[in-house]
Amino acid sequence: MAQNSYTPSLQGNPMSATGSQYPNGNPNAGYNGAGAKNTDSCVPLHRSGEVVHNYTCDGPAPGNIAFRWIYGSNVAAMNRDPRIQAMQYNEDTYILRENVCVHWEAPFTYLLFGNKGALLIDTGATPEAAYYPLRTTVDAIVTRWSQMRGRKNVPLTVVLTSGEDIAQNQGLGQFAGRPNTTLAPKPLAEMKEFYELGGSWPSGIGKIDLGDRVLDVIPTPGAHKDGVSFYDPYNDFLYTGDLLFPGKINISNDKDYVASLARLKEWKDKHPVKWVMGGHVEMQFVPGKAYPRFATYKPYERLLQMEPQAIDEALTYAREVEGKEMMLVRPDFILLNGVSPDQKTSVFPAGVPNINAPRPF
Amino acid sequence: MALPIVSVVLPTANAVMVPEAAAEASVSEYPAADRIDFTTHAPAAGTFPDRWICGSPSCMDNQDPAVQVHWYNEHTVFLRQNKAYSYEAPFLHLYFGNERILMLDQGFTTLRTDWALRDVVDNCIEKWCLRHGRKAEDMELLMAFSHLHADHYAALNQFIDRPNTRTMGLTHEEMVGFWGMTNYPEERVTLDLGGRNVLVWGNPGHVMSEFAYYDTYTQILYTGDMFYRGRCYISFWDRWFDSMKRLIAFVDTHPVTHVVGCHVEISRTGEDYPYGITYQPDEGPVQLTVEELRHAYEVAKTVTKPGIYFTGSVFLCNQTRGTTTIDKNPYAYS
Repeated sequence: MAQNSYTPSLQGNPMSATGSQYPNGNPNAGYNGAGAKNTDSCVPLHRSGEVVHNYTCDGPAPGNIAFRWIYGSNVAAMNRDPRIQAMQYNEDTYILRENVCVHWEAPFTYLLFGNKGALLIDTGATPEAAYYPLRTTVDAIVTRWSQMRGRKNVPLTVVLTSGEDIAQNQGLGQFAGRPNTTLAPKPLAEMKEFYELGGSWPSGIGKIDLGDRVLDVIPTPGAHKDGVSFYDPYNDFLYTGDLLFPGKINISNDKDYVASLARLKEWKDKHPVKWVMGGHVEMQFVPGKAYPRFATYKPYERLLQMEPQAIDEALTYAREVEGKEMMLVRPDFILLNGVSPDQKTSVFPAGVPNINAPRPF
Repeated sequence: MALPIVSVVLPTANAVMVPEAAAEASVSEYPAADRIDFTTHAPAAGTFPDRWICGSPSCMDNQDPAVQVHWYNEHTVFLRQNKAYSYEAPFLHLYFGNERILMLDQGFTTLRTDWALRDVVDNCIEKWCLRHGRKAEDMELLMAFSHLHADHYAALNQFIDRPNTRTMGLTHEEMVGFWGMTNYPEERVTLDLGGRNVLVWGNPGHVMSEFAYYDTYTQILYTGDMFYRGRCYISFWDRWFDSMKRLIAFVDTHPVTHVVGCHVEISRTGEDYPYGITYQPDEGPVQLTVEELRHAYEVAKTVTKPGIYFTGSVFLCNQTRGTTTIDKNPYAYS
């Protein structure tokens, strides 16, 4: 677009990936305080006392994954990327990725803030703080956030999309003994009690109140028998862990898996969902192709976020593999039911371009 | 239309190839004092390390050398690529003779800036030459490999500009020509490194074009990817079984101290390390015994259809290349 023809009110913010007219919220909307400007920050320039944020908004909260994820290197030993890449999605949402060369699972961890506390979803694949300083990173973000908001007390809750998943529960130990911190228990029975789902698992819905930002806990066993997903009504995100992510999804119980996806679909039909945010990326940016397990160099990775339609598609094809030991390739994910994690197939979905990304050497 | 038969002129090693029997009678041109005797004390004693470098929980924190250099004995070096540089972590061999050096395999990383194999090998050669009163530039380096898979020759290009160095070539025809073979895979030829003979013959099965090497000095039999402590991906069973028969016939008639392959993918307790893993904290030794080879042959005799057969020391993955899996989903529940 030519410089002189740009009209912000018509064409939106050129810096916005969405190009929407009010990528950071309409300043004239009722929930904005008097004198609010259409700026990136919800924190006033000159604050006096604690800032209380209004988490109500039209549609999903503005946010942006504006950078590329770190993707390892050809020679893992020579990798010099940060051990944890911290991306600020918006002022109350951080996405953390473990370096591929620290652990090939390269899990994503989400740090969310509300008016009464912070929530860490998942804890990564590496226990050693020297290799994977999750606690230090989270502490630094919490400190900085609390300084910006003028808060002294930011209690932290650490939860897992699956207590048994060693690609997501390994960093939990780093938070043991952290003051003002609640850790969700790993054993299934205790975890159900923690979310008050003891009597209603898996059909019930649990709650995590961060203060004006209440996340829903949706039991989604199937990839793990203790799998849960979290719904974030501020960003309209579903954090689905190993249940649904752009990668090779190992179905551990196909009946549960289909039932969980059906529950997610029902949820999605009743609640706005912007993106499904999984715990890993294994797909390449060419359709239907995934990186093998243990790969430490993934230069052609697919994006992390999935459109909500992925739930419908996953449900459709999960029903197809139910009761069969097979691998099924879709453009954005691969289902593995009752087969090895290294299973290969020559069956490629019809109508999908079969492209091979260049092989790094 | 008939295809023209193209005669390819290759820099072969024919000059140093002699029939097996005649090799023993070759006469030395070096003064006796300088010449190393590789025959009287065979098999030369040697050691393997208790543990090879085997990766680390976090690859980017790996502090091991990029290549582990292990002198099996004074005239034999085994190298191993670091798992944090390549998950294949292949083993490479250097055999020193009075006139030339044989290098088997060149690892799985191409760039010298990523993985300086050339420098490591040059360093080994210089050290050896220093100890034995020779000039490195007088020693011819022969670059050979077990077969034409990238994890066995990726660093070959680092040696292209090395003086006094010859390469086996990257096609089957070139390789067979390099060894001067006319009857692959049955024909066994002798490479004379200068008083140290290495026997070479065809060893197909994993791929159609593979070679076995037997060093008469250490009496180590090198079987490449055709037989190693791990998942032997057998693409052509009949070819592989024939190769196995040849190996058994060989160990029946020749003394063999160790059978050595290119990789290790199994723990000391027989656990499979899945394909691509970068940390094998409890891996088994690279060397196998002749008994393990014989036992694998006995197991192989009973194999009639594709599948994975564990002999106790190797997995025979018969025609399973596309779906070779020993791993299960650990979280499966009912």
